[in-house]
Amino acid sequence: MSVSSLLLRGGRVVDPTQNLDGVRDVLIENGRVARIADQIGAGETRGAVEVDLRGAIIAPGFIDPHVHLREPGQMHKESIASGTAAAVAGGFTAVAAMPNTSPALDTPELIRAVLERARAAGLARVYPIAAITQGRAGKELAPYRLLAQGGAVAFSDDGSTVDDARVLRRAALYARDLPAPFISHCEEAALRAGGLMNEGETSARLGIAASPRLAEDIIVARDLLIAGDTGKRWHIAHLSTQRSLALVKWARSQGVAATCEVTPHHLVFTDALFEGFAATGRVCPPLRTEADVAALRAGVRDGSVDVLATDHAPHSAGDKAGPLSETAVGFSGLEVAVGAYALALPDLPLIRFVALLSTNVARLLNVDGGTLAPGSIADVTVLRDEAWTVRPERFHSKGRSTPFSGMRLPRRAVATVVGGALVYDATGRQAQVANAGERHPAAEIGI
Amino acid sequence: MAPRNLLDLDDVSAEELVALLDRAETFHRDPSPRRALAGVPVVNLFFEPSTRTQTSFAIAEHRLGAEVVTIDPGDSSMVKGESIADTAVTLAAMGVGAIVVRHKESGFPYVLARSFPGHVVNAGDGTHAHPTQALLDLMTLRQEFGGIKGLRVAVVGDVAHSRVARSNIHGLRALGAQTILVGPPTLLPDAMAQTAVQVERDLDCVLPTVDAVMLLRIQRERLDSALVPSVAAYAEQFQLNPRRLALLREGAVVMHPGPFNRGVELTDEVLEFPGCRYVNQVANGVFARMAVLEALCA
Repeated sequence: MSVSSLLLRGGRVVDPTQNLDGVRDVLIENGRVARIADQIGAGETRGAVEVDLRGAIIAPGFIDPHVHLREPGQMHKESIASGTAAAVAGGFTAVAAMPNTSPALDTPELIRAVLERARAAGLARVYPIAAITQGRAGKELAPYRLLAQGGAVAFSDDGSTVDDARVLRRAALYARDLPAPFISHCEEAALRAGGLMNEGETSARLGIAASPRLAEDIIVARDLLIAGDTGKRWHIAHLSTQRSLALVKWARSQGVAATCEVTPHHLVFTDALFEGFAATGRVCPPLRTEADVAALRAGVRDGSVDVLATDHAPHSAGDKAGPLSETAVGFSGLEVAVGAYALALPDLPLIRFVALLSTNVARLLNVDGGTLAPGSIADVTVLRDEAWTVRPERFHSKGRSTPFSGMRLPRRAVATVVGGALVYDATGRQAQVANAGERHPAAEIGI
Repeated sequence: MAPRNLLDLDDVSAEELVALLDRAETFHRDPSPRRALAGVPVVNLFFEPSTRTQTSFAIAEHRLGAEVVTIDPGDSSMVKGESIADTAVTLAAMGVGAIVVRHKESGFPYVLARSFPGHVVNAGDGTHAHPTQALLDLMTLRQEFGGIKGLRVAVVGDVAHSRVARSNIHGLRALGAQTILVGPPTLLPDAMAQTAVQVERDLDCVLPTVDAVMLLRIQRERLDSALVPSVAAYAEQFQLNPRRLALLREGAVVMHPGPFNRGVELTDEVLEFPGCRYVNQVANGVFARMAVLEALCA
């Protein structure tokens, strides 16, 4: 499968950076996009392998800015190898990995180790996100400049909120001049307390301990104010409420360099998923209400949501059995995301869809990709608009739990190209993820 | 009754409720031992201590001829070391026909019922449901007023954390009563208002308009978690005491699921009040539970 050049034939090429949406051939040579043209003759390609993509969508590689790869420390849930296999099978050429591993990613050595493991896996690019505080304990600052030099693209204590506003403010001041943004997980600890789901009509009726939307909004407001005062670039992770979105818009109107992301599950499900005490919907922040879902969808359409993010949070099967309070928080997202977004946003123009999953994410994380402009790295996502049924037992991720299980989704990934190599190919009868080491030069990956 | 389990009253129809109440009345009139559950092992699995409910269930089970097995989960390596699913499978393999379960977590009986092929009776789960308590409350009201339809019933106190209140809301609505929930917003969220369920804040205004008052227990831990300022402050607004008893209509009754906190939600005088039906409730509990076990298992 390791090839020096690829000719992607006859697909609908959608690239926001070239304002391009039309049927084209794409020639990839030496890991770069060589040419895009109406038709490229076989004689012009120095023996490129042709892939017939008539009827498919060809986009710059999708980048997921928010995944949990669980390595080091929790490899029974996921590993860099299994997580990046899930990524390419879901159409993602790169993922940004959150630092809530064990130990937390708070030293340049750990960042480099993650990059090394990603290179060895040889599938999707991995962009490590480093912790804001040492050990994600919320007390002492991490060495931001060293972490950035080691390859960290952003800073986050995701999974936890930095509870102490003084610590967060000082962290933001210290890291202010680095381009890598802070990404905040927004849940106020005392308000969240032991909440297992969103506080609302359903939790009141079922008598389930719940966390109010206020718990998120109050930290979103706090962090945006800290961003404004310190001048630090700021990104709100997995934004889930109508009011938090309004707060982000307000902050931007005040000149704050703030962006935000929303997840597939917050765009599709509400807290009604907990009827009958089903545990599949347990996630932080929790699934909200119809009004929030509508507001998030509107925010994606009108551009106030900058990027889409899965918050891929795999757990082993045992972590997902048992009563709600003992159920692990979060679920796999990478292999359903493309279909789930399309389900939630059926009327979103494809060029905007691609921007939210590729171009805007590359800009957010200040990384390569997000474009198919000739000369750029050949990270390519190939999709088809055809319905498929989510079968978690077929996931490449070790995490088989998802509230999308059994649902019909209208869009899927059919091929993924990273650095010019076809690392996922479902254009034939059998979907295949490339074997480790079988593909492009290792140096291409992960920087 | 076709249903396999009794997990809450929200999926029990009015007809089924009336049938259960009728059957409970039959047991009340003739409390002699029966053989309906002869040879059926019934396990009482109480993860939360409960003298009253557990004793009531045990008596009901014995009176139906069941083989009563009590497992103390605190001492049981079987329960402690296993997942709920494993425990359910183990008990089923031993031929257990029904499990009566109480747990501190809302929804626990639902999880158990997913892996247990026999019958599950919810004896109280967290702050969610306590269907047999609601059934005995309905039975007590019916004895008093001859029927439930059209009654106005106030449920007073810590509604947010009350499984008794939630199950009663379902039962009262199914049988055509109007429920008036009364308490401070910290213990009674606005979100609890719904069809045939009204939320009120002023107990003195509500008392003259109702046929029955169901008091709820205020747990001490609520006082420690900034939900109410103090016992005195709570009592001033929501405690049933001689002054408030005087506001009740002629013939109105007072109920309480027990155990009570004297001096918090009620004063000693309330227990002496002629309209206090606490003892009837406890007595009815055995018959209501017999009716449920017979309907599910026999």
